[in-house]
Amino acid sequence: MKLSKTLIALAMTAALGTGAASAQVNVMLPAAPGGGWDGTGRQAFQALKDAGIYTDGVNFTNTGGAGGTVGLAEFLGTSTGQPDALAVFGAITVGAIQLNSSPINLADFRPVARLTAEYLVVAVAADSPYNTLADLVADLKADPGAHPIGGGSAGGVDHIAVALLAQEGGIPVADLNYIPQTSGAETVTAIVNGTLTAGVSGTSEFAQFAEQGRIKLLGVTAAERRTNLPDVPTFTEAGYPIELANWRGILAAPGAPDDNYAQWVDRFTQLSKSDAWKAVLETQGWDDYFLAGEDFGAFIAQETATQGKVLKDAGLVN
Amino acid sequence: MPALSTDGQDNSQNGGGPAAASAPARPYWIGIGVMAIGAVWLYGASGLPQGARYAAVGPGLFVTISGAALLVLGAILILQIWRGESFEPQEAEDAQADAGMDRRAFFTALVAVAVPIATMKPLGMPFTATIAFMLVANAFGSRRWWLDLICGAVLAALAWFLFARLGLQLGGFFPPLGF
Amino acid sequence: MQTFGLLLDGFAVAVQPVNLMWALVGSLLGTIIGILPGIGPALTIALLLPITTTLEPTSAFIMFAGILYGAMYGGSTTSILLNTPGEAGSMMTALEGNKMARAGRGAAALTTAALGSFVAGTIATLALTFAAPAIAELAFYFKPADYFALTTLAFCSVAVVMGNSRTRGFISLFIGIAIGVIGIDSMSGQPRLTFGVMQLLRGVELTVVLVSLFAVGEMLYVASRFRSAPAAMASVKGQAWFTREDFARSWKPWLRGTLIGFPMGALPGGGSEIPTMLSYTLERKLSRHKDEFGHGAIEGVAGPEAANNAAAAGILVPLLTLGLPTSATAAVLLAAFQNYGLQPGPFLFTSNPALIWGLIASLYIGNVMLLVLNLPLVGIWVQLLRIPRPQLYAGILVFAMIGVWGLAGSWTDLAIMLVIGLMGYVMRVYDFPIAPVLIGLILGPMAETQLRTALAAGQGNPIVLVSTPLSGTLMVIALLFLAVPPLLRRLRANA
Repeated sequence: MKLSKTLIALAMTAALGTGAASAQVNVMLPAAPGGGWDGTGRQAFQALKDAGIYTDGVNFTNTGGAGGTVGLAEFLGTSTGQPDALAVFGAITVGAIQLNSSPINLADFRPVARLTAEYLVVAVAADSPYNTLADLVADLKADPGAHPIGGGSAGGVDHIAVALLAQEGGIPVADLNYIPQTSGAETVTAIVNGTLTAGVSGTSEFAQFAEQGRIKLLGVTAAERRTNLPDVPTFTEAGYPIELANWRGILAAPGAPDDNYAQWVDRFTQLSKSDAWKAVLETQGWDDYFLAGEDFGAFIAQETATQGKVLKDAGLVN
Repeated sequence: MPALSTDGQDNSQNGGGPAAASAPARPYWIGIGVMAIGAVWLYGASGLPQGARYAAVGPGLFVTISGAALLVLGAILILQIWRGESFEPQEAEDAQADAGMDRRAFFTALVAVAVPIATMKPLGMPFTATIAFMLVANAFGSRRWWLDLICGAVLAALAWFLFARLGLQLGGFFPPLGF
Repeated sequence: MQTFGLLLDGFAVAVQPVNLMWALVGSLLGTIIGILPGIGPALTIALLLPITTTLEPTSAFIMFAGILYGAMYGGSTTSILLNTPGEAGSMMTALEGNKMARAGRGAAALTTAALGSFVAGTIATLALTFAAPAIAELAFYFKPADYFALTTLAFCSVAVVMGNSRTRGFISLFIGIAIGVIGIDSMSGQPRLTFGVMQLLRGVELTVVLVSLFAVGEMLYVASRFRSAPAAMASVKGQAWFTREDFARSWKPWLRGTLIGFPMGALPGGGSEIPTMLSYTLERKLSRHKDEFGHGAIEGVAGPEAANNAAAAGILVPLLTLGLPTSATAAVLLAAFQNYGLQPGPFLFTSNPALIWGLIASLYIGNVMLLVLNLPLVGIWVQLLRIPRPQLYAGILVFAMIGVWGLAGSWTDLAIMLVIGLMGYVMRVYDFPIAPVLIGLILGPMAETQLRTALAAGQGNPIVLVSTPLSGTLMVIALLFLAVPPLLRRLRANA
C-alpha cells in the first residue's frame, strides 16, 4: 500500500516535469502521421531547432480528415485568440473547404508563411501513342468520356491541374472523366493496366515510376523545367500557360496577439534562409516556395478565388 | 489432473441445451432496430446524388444499398422471429452462455465504458482509466475496491507514461491541476 | 535466383540486433495476447499503431509480423490446456487438443501444435517468398472490375459461411458496409451520413470498431454472464512429449493443413476460421483412427494448427503484393503502411526492398523464435491464465480506451465506442457473427471505389463489371454461394 502511494507520488512528480517541458507551442497537423503535412510540420520545427531559431518544446496534434478541414475546425475551436498556436495546411485545404461546404474561412486565420511547393506532372503509359500534351488534349477534346484521367482526391490540386489544362484546350471541365485514386502508386497501376488514359501526381511521386519505365511524363506544371526531369517540358512550353503547385504553409490562430504573430513570421523568415532548412528541402525533394505574412494572406485569397472558379466549372460546388 | 469430462458436449456451440432461456422468446426489437438503422441510412442517401456524369452511379449508391438491405433484412428477421427463430448466446472464454444475464454486473460494466465520454477531456486519461478499472473489476465481482484503486491507478499512470512517450496524444496527466 | 539474392539481403536486415530484438518483442507479445482472452492480433497491432511515429518502419513491421505469428502459437496453448480458444483460429484445436490433454496426452498435443505451426509457418513463408514477386506483377493486369468481383465474392462467402443463420450473417455484413460509408466520399468529396458532426467527416476508424466490437463487446458480454469458477487446467507434468507414432500421424496433416490454410488466407474473407474448419473435417475423413476423433485424435490438432499458421502467412500475400487487405489484421497492417506514407503493392518491392525482404526474412526468424519460446516455456505462459479475471478484463478496457482516445483525442470516438460496444454485446447474446461486420467495413469502401472506377472508365456500361475472364468467373462463384445452399436444402427436402 505504502509502496503504491510512493509510486503514484513519483508518477505525478514526473508528470509535472514532462508537462512543463512540453507545450510551449501547439502545432496542429491536420493529417494522419506520415503524410506530407505531417512531414512538413515536424521537419520545419526540427530545422528551427537545428538552426537555433526556436529551441523550446513543440506539442504536435495530428487530427486528419477531409483535406485538413477537420483539423483546422478543431484548431479554430481550441486556439482562437491564443498565442503560440500554429497549424499546417496547404493548397488541398483551399479546395476541400469549398467542396465540403466547411464553415471554416481561411481569411480568419493569420497567415504566417508559405514554405514548400511540389509541382505536378501528367503521365501516360510507357507504350501509349501520346508523346506530347497536345496529342493527349486533342483526343480528350474529341471524346472526353472515353479517356478517363486519374489523380488525387476530387477537387484537389491534381484535379485542378487537369481542369485548367482542359480549359486551356477548349474542353468543358464538366465533361472530363476524372477518377480519383487513393495514391500516386495506384494511379500508376491504373495507367499501366489501361483503366486510365492519363494520370496526374506530384513530381517526386511519378519520377521514380518513369525511371522504371512504367510511364511516360508529358508535362510539368512548374515555370521552368525541373533539373531532375530535364526532358519533361513545362505546360507553358507545350502551349498551355498554366503554373500550379501543391504548396504547404503555416497559419497562426485567429486573433493571435500581434507581437506573438510577428515573432513567428520572423522565425519562419529566418528559417527560410537557414542551412538546416535548405538541407531538409534537399533531402525531401521539396521546392522552396517561401512567402511570409500578409503577402501570403493575399496569395491564399487569390488561390481561393481561382480554385473556387474551377470547382464551379467542374460542377463540384454550386 | 482434472477428471475426464463426462461427455462430448462441452465444446459444441450448437449442442442444444436451455440456451434460449436468457433471451426473451420473441425479441422483435432486434428486427425493428435493424430496420431503423436501414431507415436512417436511406434517409441519409436521399440527400446525396445517386448518379454521376460517367459512372452512372454516384456517392448515394452504396448508402442506398446498405440502407435498403438492412431494411429488408430487418423485416426478414422479424418474420423469422415470428416463426419462432431461436437465439443461442455465443460461447466465450470465462462466460457461461446459458446463464441468465446479471443485470447489475452488466450495467456497472456499461457505466465503465460510458464514463470516459464525460471525464476523459476534463479530468484526463489516468483518472478516467482508474475509475473505469474499478468499475469493471467491481462488475466482475471484485470487492476489494482499494486494491483495484491502486492497481488501476498504477496501471493507468504507467500506461500514460509509456504511450505518451511512444507518441500518443493522451492529453494532460490531470488537467484540473493544469498539467 | 533473383528472389534468393533479395531474400539474403533481407536476412542481413533481419539479423541486425535491433531488428532481432523487435522480432522477439513481437513474438512475446503475440504469444501473450494469443493466450489472453479478449485481445487478438488485429486489436494489438491497432493499439500499437501510434508507435509508427517514432519507430523505424522495418522494425515496426518485424514486430507486427511477430505478433501475427505469435498469436497463432499462443492460441493453441489455451485451447489445449483449458478448452478455451484465445483466437477464432484455434477453435478446432480445442476439439481434439483438450480431449488429449484430459487423457494425459497434453504434452503431445502441445508439441504437435507447435511443430505443426512451425512447419506450416516455414512452408507458407517459403511460398510467400517465391509467389509474392510474381503475384505483384499481376497488379498490372487486375482491373477495377476484377477487384469488385473479388470483394463481392468475399461478401457472399463470409455472410453465408459464418454463423448459423444467413439472415444474421448478411445483417452483420451490411452493418459493416453501412459504417464504412460514413464520412467524406473519397470519389466526390461529398460528406455522407455525418449528421453535421465534424469529427465524423473522417469516417469511423477501423481501430475504434475493432476495439468496440471485440474488447468492449466481449467485456460487457462476459460481465453479464461471468463464470467465476475458472475452467480446470490440464497439467502436462511428466508426460511423454512426442513419440515416433505421434510424428508418423502428424506430418501428413501438417502438410495438408498448410496446403489448405495458405491459399484460403490469401482470399478476401477467408480468415483463419474456415481453413481450420476445413482441415479438421478433412483429417477426420482421412484418418485411420476415426474412432479416436472426439476423444483426442492427434490429427485433429496437427491439421488445424498448421492451417491457421499457414493462413496467417497467406494474408500477407495479397496485402504486400496488391495492397488488398483480406482480414482485420491485414487491414490494420495496411493502415500501418499508410502511416509511413507507404502504399503496399507492386511498387513496394522495387521502391522499398529492404523493408519487404527484411520483413519476409524476419518471418523465418520469428518462426524459430516462437518454436523455442513455446515448447519449453509453455509452463511459464500458462501462468498468465492465473491473472484474476476482474483485474484482467478491467485492464483490457483500460488499454481499449487508451487506443481509442489516443487516435485523435476525440470524445466522438469514445461515444462510438459505447454504441458499437453495446452492439457487440447484443450480437453475442443473439448469435450474430462478428467477422462479417469487419469484412463489410474493410472491403465495403474498396468495393464501392472499384465499382465506381470500373463504371466511370467504362462510361456507365454495366457489362464492364464482368468483361474480364477473372471478374466473370468470380461473379458466377459469388452467385453460386448465394443460390446453392437453399437449392440443396430444397432438393433434400423433396427427396
